Amino acid sequence: MRRFAIATLLGASLAAMAAPAQAAWHSYVSHKLGFSFEAPGDVKASVGAYRGQFAGPHESIIFRSVDDNIEYKVTVMSFMQAQADGATILGEREYNFQNEKKVLMDTFGRVEPGKDAIYGRKITVELPKNGGRTLGAFYFVNGKMIVLEATILPANGDYASPDPGRFIDSIVFQLQRTQQGATELKLPE
Amino acid sequence: MRSRFSAWILAAVAGAALVASAAPASAAWKGYISHPLGFAFAAPGDLKFERGKYQAAVAGNCDSMVWRSVDDGIEYKVIVIDTVAQANKAATLLGEAEYIFQDQKKLLMDAFGRVDGKFGRKLTIDLPNKSRTTAAFWFVNGRIVSLQATVPANGDVDTPEMARFVDSITFYPVRAADDALELPLPK
Repeated sequence: MRRFAIATLLGASLAAMAAPAQAAWHSYVSHKLGFSFEAPGDVKASVGAYRGQFAGPHESIIFRSVDDNIEYKVTVMSFMQAQADGATILGEREYNFQNEKKVLMDTFGRVEPGKDAIYGRKITVELPKNGGRTLGAFYFVNGKMIVLEATILPANGDYASPDPGRFIDSIVFQLQRTQQGATELKLPE
Repeated sequence: MRSRFSAWILAAVAGAALVASAAPASAAWKGYISHPLGFAFAAPGDLKFERGKYQAAVAGNCDSMVWRSVDDGIEYKVIVIDTVAQANKAATLLGEAEYIFQDQKKLLMDAFGRVDGKFGRKLTIDLPNKSRTTAAFWFVNGRIVSLQATVPANGDVDTPEMARFVDSITFYPVRAADDALELPLPK
């Protein structure tokens, strides 16, 4: 009996060690871009490119981290000169996100209450060729399109993980609601 | 035998004629265009204009214009909400209007709308009184533009007329009907 208990304890310890260590979640803020969010792991900034038929070619800023085979990404694009076209620019980005993919969810997104509300959309798609599953959230705020995407890679495989939802729903535009101690995001030079 | 067959045909024809005459007459569809507002559409019957109000948390209190017709029991409405002063919030204003439209109703469809390079949304809801509305929402020149067609309770909810109306919108004047009537704007 005692041998069995020891073996069980050893087995459980080994299993715990074999599981990938999950990084702690941190809060990040960009006062310049006007939003904050939470993500696990080290968030690194880079420059990307986006092209939409209506939006045209645009440079983007990408904040990205990977933890436990889930990729967390925030993409920011500036459309200061085309704010009145924000609805179409955002709609085009949402459409491109789900185009030719299996859509699992497509629903309203709303951040902040009352007159400060920002309306957008939350969409979940299955990526082609068993590429995993991505949950995206899309907002257009103060001339900037802000897209949060969390992709559960096949190596993780837990498509019911609550972490993508936690990431997507952590977005804040009223910065007084940002968690204390949030790390200021460094913008790429 | 031959005369009995002829009588049967006569009765059938007379019956069909009676049914046809008893059915409500559908009005002809006409094209309408508003150059200042930047869109065109088609609708049956005579459009009547009325002023309206729109209130929402983000948009605040806004004036609206409504063109409305009723044909074969279906109500067709074009609603234009003046949000020009805050057009820089286009995406949120449009999202808010869509959200309010379907809030606490049974949502049957919520899909992308794409016309002439513009992206919007098309939604179908069942109203509490069992009527059904199909609507499209767009943001055009600083204004929220919504086309809404409502079939009353116990009406033919499968009618293609709702979609015909909602999908008739165009933002390119060249795609408007050749004989489209200019929508009169209030002075």
